[in-house]
Amino acid sequence: MNLVLRRVAAMLPALIGVVVCIFVLTRVLPGDPARTLAGDQADPSVVAKIRTDMGLDRPLHIQLVRYFSDLLHGNLGFAWHTGHSVASDFASRLPATVELALVALVIALLAGVPLGVISATRRDRPVDHAGRVFSLLGASMPLFWLGLMVIVVFYNKLGWAPAPLGRVAEGINPPTGITGLYLVDSLLTGDVVAFRSALSHIIWPALCLATGSTAIIARMTRSAMLEVIGQDYVRTAVSKGLKPSVVTLKHALRNAAPVIVTISGLQFGQLMGGAVITETVFTWPGIGSYVVQSVLATDYAPVQAFTLVAAVVYLAANLVVDLVNARLDPRIADA
Amino acid sequence: MKRTVLALAAATALAVSGCAANANSNSNSSAKEDAGDTLVAAYSEGGKTLDPAEANDVTSDTFVVAAYDQLVTYARTEDGGKPKAKTDQIVPMLAESWKASANNTSYTFKLRADAKFQDGAPVTADAVVKSFDHIKASSSASFLYKMAGIAKVTKVDEQNVKIDLTAPNHLFLQILPMYSFSIIDMDKVAQNGGAKWLATNTAGSGPYKITKWDPSTEAAMARNDSYWGDKPKLGQVNVKFIAEASNRVQLLKKGEVGLALEVPPKDVQSLKAADGVMIDSRAGNKILFFAMNNKIKPFDDPRVRQAVSYAIPYDKLLNDVMKGQASPMKSSVASSTPGFSDAGYTYTHDLDKARALLAQAGLPQGFSFDFTLGSGFDDWNDDAVLIQAELAKIGVKMNIKKMARPQFLEALETKKVQAYITRWTSFVNDPGYHLGLLLTSQGSSNYANFSDPVVDKAWQQAATEPDLAKRNKLYGAAQQEINVKAPWAYLYEYNIVVAHRAGLDGYTSYPDGIVRFFQLSVTK
Repeated sequence: MNLVLRRVAAMLPALIGVVVCIFVLTRVLPGDPARTLAGDQADPSVVAKIRTDMGLDRPLHIQLVRYFSDLLHGNLGFAWHTGHSVASDFASRLPATVELALVALVIALLAGVPLGVISATRRDRPVDHAGRVFSLLGASMPLFWLGLMVIVVFYNKLGWAPAPLGRVAEGINPPTGITGLYLVDSLLTGDVVAFRSALSHIIWPALCLATGSTAIIARMTRSAMLEVIGQDYVRTAVSKGLKPSVVTLKHALRNAAPVIVTISGLQFGQLMGGAVITETVFTWPGIGSYVVQSVLATDYAPVQAFTLVAAVVYLAANLVVDLVNARLDPRIADA
Repeated sequence: MKRTVLALAAATALAVSGCAANANSNSNSSAKEDAGDTLVAAYSEGGKTLDPAEANDVTSDTFVVAAYDQLVTYARTEDGGKPKAKTDQIVPMLAESWKASANNTSYTFKLRADAKFQDGAPVTADAVVKSFDHIKASSSASFLYKMAGIAKVTKVDEQNVKIDLTAPNHLFLQILPMYSFSIIDMDKVAQNGGAKWLATNTAGSGPYKITKWDPSTEAAMARNDSYWGDKPKLGQVNVKFIAEASNRVQLLKKGEVGLALEVPPKDVQSLKAADGVMIDSRAGNKILFFAMNNKIKPFDDPRVRQAVSYAIPYDKLLNDVMKGQASPMKSSVASSTPGFSDAGYTYTHDLDKARALLAQAGLPQGFSFDFTLGSGFDDWNDDAVLIQAELAKIGVKMNIKKMARPQFLEALETKKVQAYITRWTSFVNDPGYHLGLLLTSQGSSNYANFSDPVVDKAWQQAATEPDLAKRNKLYGAAQQEINVKAPWAYLYEYNIVVAHRAGLDGYTSYPDGIVRFFQLSVTK
């Protein structure tokens, strides 16, 4: 518990730094948000009026102070290009992205870890080479192209995938909202109809999104396992006559686990970022596509809020990684 | 930790055993619309606002037109068997008739007695007056209010409203049918805390009720069963927002959506060949032009600008870039705008003429210039590269500088960009509006610094000329002068492309590119 508090306190300066940096960055970027919003036919007087409404006519330091005081009041600002407050936009979109990233991470772990273990135990055999080729392909596959291909092949040609239109099929009500994660909510309310529909919709974009992470997790697992397998205690376990499967899973994998947990935490952040492209291709109503729109519209508030949320997610993921590793390896907790 | 897991498991078990009502436990009880009554449409983006006076993008405008009525509206006509708008003929809507004063400086509108807002309140003279106040105070539509020349709006009695103008103004009646000039139940707005509420809610008398609007995913509208006018045939319209054009095309081919907008030219051919898909591709008034800054050398010499106009590979742009989904542009005003004239337009792709003109201008070796390319539209990119290659043949070096769109708009405003291409749709389909903004010395969007006394004078005279024939003569003279002086090279006029399933009837093409869903019906 002490560790948690210490870590959270240490995060605050980092967060403040991020907020100030992104504030200054958005303000020095070229492009006038008021003009973008007004369109190219609007009279300069209209643009000036919008600038006043947005508070952009005030000096920069005043704007920064106002932004901080708004933040402390829990106000993330107003998204001009959607006409809603950023908080309400985030509330409706963030769960979709988190769910997508989580499902992709689960897929990447379920596929990547066994792949890495098998590659390590069958080093330099055909299986290992196949794993290496797959990892190279997976890590270098352009997400955009992969997503479009999946839609063309599995939706258009084969008809296995549902129409790439949001999180559940047309005519099916989303599950009653509890967490905002459709899969979890539909399980909690026993809504089989919604669960099946949500699963069939999330699985394709999640598979695309998971490809790169699967490759990276597989490679890292392999190298971590190889390092462990060479250690004395593993040799001891083998010479004691333990079954190879027990040695691999109980002794070797247990000791390689911290590395895998660390990389998974980093990958979760990566997946949130990768969601930007996947969401655009699959018309997934998440935060990624929303932020792209905000950047194109030079809409400051959502971009700032996203950076803040991303920083929090990253720091939280790091914290979770450290805590899990501390449970796995007592030596880390004392460090 | 273990305890939470147990609690969760228990909760799940309880829920599964039927204690919790879930969203789909009675999914069949919601009345299923029969297929002929519902339309699913695919748009590229979700719009910004539902406030009629703030809307200025096609998606937002579409919902406004569905939920609100205006005092007057555009007539419809047939064109080769297909319905289209006749924007220079204004017909009654909420106003059943109107009278202009002898000197055309004030109009009195008589309201229909039977028109009601969607929640039952009558459409009164008060509502009209308050709606105009809302427009006047808005950010987006206030400049149209000025352009219409409205001095004041007063209630005569419950059914009559008088609008005084600052001077006779032929744009006035043409601006009134716009979505911006919707009549709003302002009392309802006041009850809900003021104009901000209109950004995400509607208070109109229109044919559809907006039942859902989430700009990131979808919107839905349902027929207003107590509509005072012709009942819409479609009971339900669902609009999906799909950014990826190839997805819109595939969904239409598979029949998941019944109508799709913004189909890229390259996909039009494949859709034409698809079973059960119809393409409606007709001229709108959206134009694309190559502007040269008339105040920056060497473009201050009309002969240099003419030379560039002769060097543009017009056919390549139309066929290779736009795949035939555009038509030649022969004046600064779109050909579908009433009052269009191509007098004085002589430009073809003729490099010899271009070289001769450059030699006359004292630049036989050519010159080099900076061209700013704004992001956001694929065709601009291709056009710029093709034009660059042609200009190179006459010794002119065009340095392409790319810019993100927000930056591009900001750069244009400085009026210091040497050359650029941009598209333009005039909200009011009238040469006075169009030229006034773009090509008069005072025009707020005259980013190419074109300034010509002949054009300015003709435009000023036309602004207060009530006689249509005389007015068009003046606009014709202005267009001729512009065509000769060539402040822009005209690239093309975009078609408005709407792809829909066979069996969808009633689609009417409007120059503003907005689909009026209440005109549609599905027969299959």
